[in-house]
Amino acid sequence: MAKDFLANESFQSFLEELTQFGAIHGPTLTEDGVPAFTTIASSSDLRLDYRRTLIPPKKYLFPPRTPLLNFAPGCGYSRPVVATGEIILFGLHPCDLAAISYLDRVFTQDRPDPLYRARRNALTLIGLSCEADEFCFCGEMGTDVPVNFDIYLEKVEGGFCLRQGSPRGKTISSGLSSLSEGPETAAPLQTRMAKVADRIRKAAERQETFPKSPLWDDFADRCLSCGACSLCCPTCYCLDIREYGDLDGRTAQRIQEWDNCLFKSHGEIAGGYNFRKTRQERFRYRFIHKYLGFGPLRGVVSCVGCGRCREVCPVKIDLQELFQQED
Amino acid sequence: MPVDQMTNIPSPAEIVEIKPISGDTALFRLRLMNEEAARDFTFVPGQFVQVSAPAAGEAPFSPLNPPGNDGALELCVRKVGHVTSQLHKARQGDVVGIRGPFGTGFPIAEMAGKDILLLAGGLGIVPLHSLLCHLLEQRDAYGSITLMYGAREPSALLLRDELRELACRRDMRLMLTVDFAAEESACEPSCNIGLLPDLLRGVPITADNCYAAVCGPPALYRCIIGELQGLGFSDRRILLSLERRMKCGLGRCAHCAVGQLLCCIDGPVFRYSDLKTIEGAL
Repeated sequence: MAKDFLANESFQSFLEELTQFGAIHGPTLTEDGVPAFTTIASSSDLRLDYRRTLIPPKKYLFPPRTPLLNFAPGCGYSRPVVATGEIILFGLHPCDLAAISYLDRVFTQDRPDPLYRARRNALTLIGLSCEADEFCFCGEMGTDVPVNFDIYLEKVEGGFCLRQGSPRGKTISSGLSSLSEGPETAAPLQTRMAKVADRIRKAAERQETFPKSPLWDDFADRCLSCGACSLCCPTCYCLDIREYGDLDGRTAQRIQEWDNCLFKSHGEIAGGYNFRKTRQERFRYRFIHKYLGFGPLRGVVSCVGCGRCREVCPVKIDLQELFQQED
Repeated sequence: MPVDQMTNIPSPAEIVEIKPISGDTALFRLRLMNEEAARDFTFVPGQFVQVSAPAAGEAPFSPLNPPGNDGALELCVRKVGHVTSQLHKARQGDVVGIRGPFGTGFPIAEMAGKDILLLAGGLGIVPLHSLLCHLLEQRDAYGSITLMYGAREPSALLLRDELRELACRRDMRLMLTVDFAAEESACEPSCNIGLLPDLLRGVPITADNCYAAVCGPPALYRCIIGELQGLGFSDRRILLSLERRMKCGLGRCAHCAVGQLLCCIDGPVFRYSDLKTIEGAL
């Protein structure tokens, strides 16, 4: 029988064994009490019962602010050296795994981003089952079935059932002595498609934008353009690129940083003309990107139901309401 | 040449010449310094390149002329923002960076054999000039060619020397218009006073066999499309070159979406038939 059971009492030694494959990062509570993925020194740092981190794991794939190019006279533009030590990202819920899967499509398909790829290759993804709360709807989005993991841990009585999802996951788990033989089989996971999810899918299929919905006015009236929803979204990847000269007056650095489609500057062009002046226009832009998809990812719903945007919005805006209107 | 160069990393280009062509606009002649990059550099009229001004950043430009085989390219740069201000401070011999070309240009193969109507407003003359040069180079492959170009005032008309030459050509028709002109200003080359739609109304055009390529500020698109449709142009033969804030040029940064289309890969040249149902496209 396969060794695919991790008993609770072996958890600490499991983590210790994992350190040989990379630095372990997982869900912890910051000093301010905010759930966040950070480095783990011991298993007591981990919050295995966390619901969601405030900042999603996308920060490991494209940091909030990161050098893109260096400029020096004579050498021109060159790529900075990216430190990509191996990282074991532990405790990813199925929604966050699905989000990384989406980002992989954005950044590694048609015209791959070498920086993303370098960071992605250095990541080992270890998933962890979770329980939904009032904000999330991953089950509804069909993203509760884990994808894109190297190893996945399903919480069961007395420990975790372990599954391997990639050759890397196989290599890692085959060498772990903390695993033991577990119960016969774990209960199979099933997608819990709910009514709202069904409506989202159907709306996406017919490219529905709800142009006449009164909710747009309602949302735009309340929205503060704070951008929290998109900052916390595990699949929002709008990026801005800026360049700064150094004090020596010769060299410069080009950086890439998280941008936000709810900010007024997002739709501006040279000379100040703005294609998305109003909050409502910016909301629609966000809606189209999230539920209908842009360019090569047209038709791909990128909401994974993690619930972050619903939880963090200071004025309780929930784009989901659009799908719940009577037809 | 590795794909990474020219796509993700700007390739150095020397500023060979800077020539002021109106109060706030200058023509930059650049030459790619890397031999391989220079040899391989080609693009379709309507495509764009990203030009880097060190310490300021990058901005998209559509070249003024079709590609030669010497890695040279010409851009019209209007001083309107951070990057363009920095470019205007540059001198001959300075080095900038070039990435590209990016995007979808004009469907030149499909336009072969057809009459072509070019409608340019302001700086919109630049990508259309590149297209016009291509059409004139392959003159026999196209039907009649008409360029209508409108600017704010006579002094804002770009490429004046060249316009004079084009005006003398017998194998194309050039019509110029300005929004307003002071009585005493010597309006040379001769032009009308009024908006582009007014100009369009005064000319017999057979739309059946014609493509219209339009480039200008958003206001131009909004007033010209109705006129073109009225003349009988089908929506898919109205070609529009759109402006957006393209940052990466690669369909990654999500800044330039027009509906679900991305200006940097699906455009910047779009057919009106693909845009007409998109709110906020024009």
